[in-house]
Amino acid sequence: MPGLLKQSIALLRGFLITGRYLFRPPVTVLYPEVKTRVAPRFKGRHWLTRYADGVERCVGCELCVIVCPSQAIYVRAAENTPERQVSKGERHADQFQINMLRCIFCGFCEEACPTGSIVMGQDYELAGYSRASLIYTKPMLTEPYPGASGRDPGREV
Amino acid sequence: MAAEAPRTAVTLMIDGRGITVPKGTTVYQAARSAGVDIPIFCYHDRMPPLGACRMCLVEVQKMSKLQTACTLEASEGMVVSTTSPAVRAAQESMLELLLINHPLDCPICDKGGECPLQDQAFRYGPGRSRFIEAKRDHAKPLSLGPVLALDRERCILCWRCVRFGEIIAGDDALKGFERGFASEVGTPRALPVESKFIGNTIAICPVGALTSRTYRFRARPWDIDPVASTCTYCGVGCSVWLDVRGGEILRTRAREEPEVNDAWLCDLGFFGHGYVAAGDRLTTPLVRREGRLQEASWDEALDLVAERLRASAERGPGRVAFLGGRRLSNEDASAAAGFFRDVVGTPHLDHRVDAPPDGASLGVSWGLRSSLEDLGRGDVFVLVGCDITEEYPVLWLRIKAAIDRGASLVIVHAKRLEIRRHARRELLDRHDRLAPLVAALAADETVASGERVHVLLGRLAMDGPDGPNLLRSADSLVRRVNGTLHIARGRGNDFGAQRFGLLPGEGGMAAPGILQGAAAGAFDLLYVAGSDPATAVTDGAAWESARSGVGFLVVHEAFLSETAQAADVVLPALVLPEKDGTVTNLEGRTLALRAAVKGPGQARADREIFDLLAARMGVVRGHDTATRIEPVARIEPAAAGAGASPSLIVVVADRLFTQGSMAGRCRGLIELAGTAHCLIHPADAARAGVTDLGLVEMVTEHASVVVQARVSDVTLPGQVLVHRGYDGVPVHALARWSPAPAGVEVRPVAPPGGETP
Ligand code: SF4
Ligand code: SF4
Ligand code: SF4
Ligand code: SF4
Ligand code: FES
Repeated sequence: MPGLLKQSIALLRGFLITGRYLFRPPVTVLYPEVKTRVAPRFKGRHWLTRYADGVERCVGCELCVIVCPSQAIYVRAAENTPERQVSKGERHADQFQINMLRCIFCGFCEEACPTGSIVMGQDYELAGYSRASLIYTKPMLTEPYPGASGRDPGREV
Repeated sequence: MAAEAPRTAVTLMIDGRGITVPKGTTVYQAARSAGVDIPIFCYHDRMPPLGACRMCLVEVQKMSKLQTACTLEASEGMVVSTTSPAVRAAQESMLELLLINHPLDCPICDKGGECPLQDQAFRYGPGRSRFIEAKRDHAKPLSLGPVLALDRERCILCWRCVRFGEIIAGDDALKGFERGFASEVGTPRALPVESKFIGNTIAICPVGALTSRTYRFRARPWDIDPVASTCTYCGVGCSVWLDVRGGEILRTRAREEPEVNDAWLCDLGFFGHGYVAAGDRLTTPLVRREGRLQEASWDEALDLVAERLRASAERGPGRVAFLGGRRLSNEDASAAAGFFRDVVGTPHLDHRVDAPPDGASLGVSWGLRSSLEDLGRGDVFVLVGCDITEEYPVLWLRIKAAIDRGASLVIVHAKRLEIRRHARRELLDRHDRLAPLVAALAADETVASGERVHVLLGRLAMDGPDGPNLLRSADSLVRRVNGTLHIARGRGNDFGAQRFGLLPGEGGMAAPGILQGAAAGAFDLLYVAGSDPATAVTDGAAWESARSGVGFLVVHEAFLSETAQAADVVLPALVLPEKDGTVTNLEGRTLALRAAVKGPGQARADREIFDLLAARMGVVRGHDTATRIEPVARIEPAAAGAGASPSLIVVVADRLFTQGSMAGRCRGLIELAGTAHCLIHPADAARAGVTDLGLVEMVTEHASVVVQARVSDVTLPGQVLVHRGYDGVPVHALARWSPAPAGVEVRPVAPPGGETP
């Protein structure tokens, strides 16, 4: 007898928990209509950021290329000219590609970057209909305006 | 290097290990031979130690201060430590001091990733700096010419580059200026830097202070696949690394090969790879239809050639001739020789397209008569009409090293060579009067007392008006002094073409004979591969009449050269960096070629083309047909042209950097080649009223060209010097094959619009 009573109390306790959550707002969202916020240090799609004056930070040094464990990055550097000063100093990235299918979102590239150019953003919606569309090129990666990636354009690195 | 008299050995202890080395070895070398790493910056093993950078400090027992390992001679019983706390502290402070003024440039510096300063700062540096003061600030980068950039902020003043110019190349291209804190590297005269070896300073600079302008920012070391191959420009056959990224050769580096190029290259090799990726490479076969060259399929083009070859065979044997070979590999040359001898059945083959009929070039086989190493052991060098730095630059480095060991240099030439200050004697005379100078050398005590005399007979001597006499005089000179006569003639793989049978066979004609025969209608078909006779034949008219006299011209080419433009069928060929195989250098050594990149479009290797043609002629060929062909018998030269000697003659000289079909398509080299000009002696210039940098008209019996004049005593009175390989001076139009020197008249041309300022 005492056994049956014990089991019934446990059952009631369980229902009580269910009942409590019945009247709380849900934690899941109706994706894709509704989207959640990710953590501030979430490692999502990359951005190539700019300084506050709009000059590109990337100098095409290829340190992100060599550090990347999945060899997802391709950079081809070129020289700045007085007529076309893309970045500060003598060198800029003429071509910059990241193969999002290869990237494992480890964030090493961001860590290696000496100018704070490449940063991992908040965007995680990285699906596509073809492999080619998932090789992000420099125009796709570069911030449209300083700070568009969510990073402070005035930061040092 | 060379086996020397046995020396006593010494035994010393380095980091607790006993090491026995010959007496005279430095502590640094002893440590390196035992695999102990001592960091260095200024020391370079091809130059004597300097002790400037103090990076190599080691602790030696019983010596009160730390010692520089690169200058300290190992002695018996020495006890050396490379890792003691005092040494570590010294290494850290040396690096901290070096970095006081070194910019934080690694991300934008071309040396990054292969930089000794980076590596050693990582390995031996303190990892922090106590200096917060502002760093030295220089305008950057400084351009020192079309191929070299100098970033003075990065220079650590090791003086390797300066000493390379002083000790190895002998051209003093770079010098140190100012003293102490303000020291910097620069050019001794005005810009641009004047050197044929400046690429080597880029290679040995331990930081990114000297960098290549053509390679600037194009790759990182980790992007590159290096391919071990051979440079195919001048014929020395330097070993190279071709650095490939994404199917394109981005730079060339020297590959160490002590027996050939040691650790060096000339700038033609360093910067001469751009033509491979040029946009105007031929990618499909071209066939002449309705008077125009039009694209065709391989089958179409090959069928047409095979049909013409068969038709010619029906008319009789020996009605086909072949010219070329310089730009073929050994395998291509052997396939061509086999195809024309055995399948087509003609003895008329020759690679010596640029040899005139009455010079000395056709009578001897080309190349050195000893190995490069033996040559380097000589004690007297006689350069007869051989402009060594323009023709075989890396060979000069070997001779320069011998001169530094006490050998003497004697120059016989019609031009003041840039190496003249290294010469013991310089005998100059007009181009048509050189033979007596050589004959007189037998009595010269420098030459007569030499034990290992090397005489290099160059193109200017052999192909000149007095070539046969010069050859005879040089020959009797080496007999008298028991020396060696080298025929410094041929470029590229001319030596492989010679070795693998691209020479006239039994009853065959040499190149000039083939051209004359073609003009007279002796041939139905002329086949050209690995050469551009339209510009290479020294008598332009001989080529033109040959072309019009022959019914059908087939050309293998990588570019639409002048010869290809005149052809009936043009077959697109791979260039040497696109092929696996071998080449032969001027000492007869076989050197490997490795395909670095794929060819463009449908281009094929010459050897493959010959095999396809052979199959169409009903012969399936293997590749064991490389027969060694003995050089043709010596031709007895005709007596030199008597007649009156003209007062002003035109002399054609070679230059390292030209606008040729390969170098002319390489960034950096085009600028080094500069513009076409003629050199005229001040005395003649004054007489003709010619001013420096003014335009002149050169009129010979056959043609006239307008070209810029440079008034200079590099040439001698009575002769105007022009260079091969410039579109602006079609040297092959100015003169005709003739044993007599070509007279020329020079008159100033008023610039359009009146007065010269
Ligand atoms: S996040 Fe990691 S894997 Fe992705 S590109 Fe950067 S370094 Fe490569
Ligand atoms: S993103 Fe950063 S690490 Fe990558 S090339 Fe640009 S500057 Fe260098
Ligand atoms: S020279 Fe070396 S250490 Fe100096 S900036 Fe260049 S890569 Fe960095
Ligand atoms: S430029 Fe390079 S090689 Fe020359 S002194 Fe400076 S660091 Fe040394
Ligand atoms: S390497 Fe010894 S002092 Fe520079």
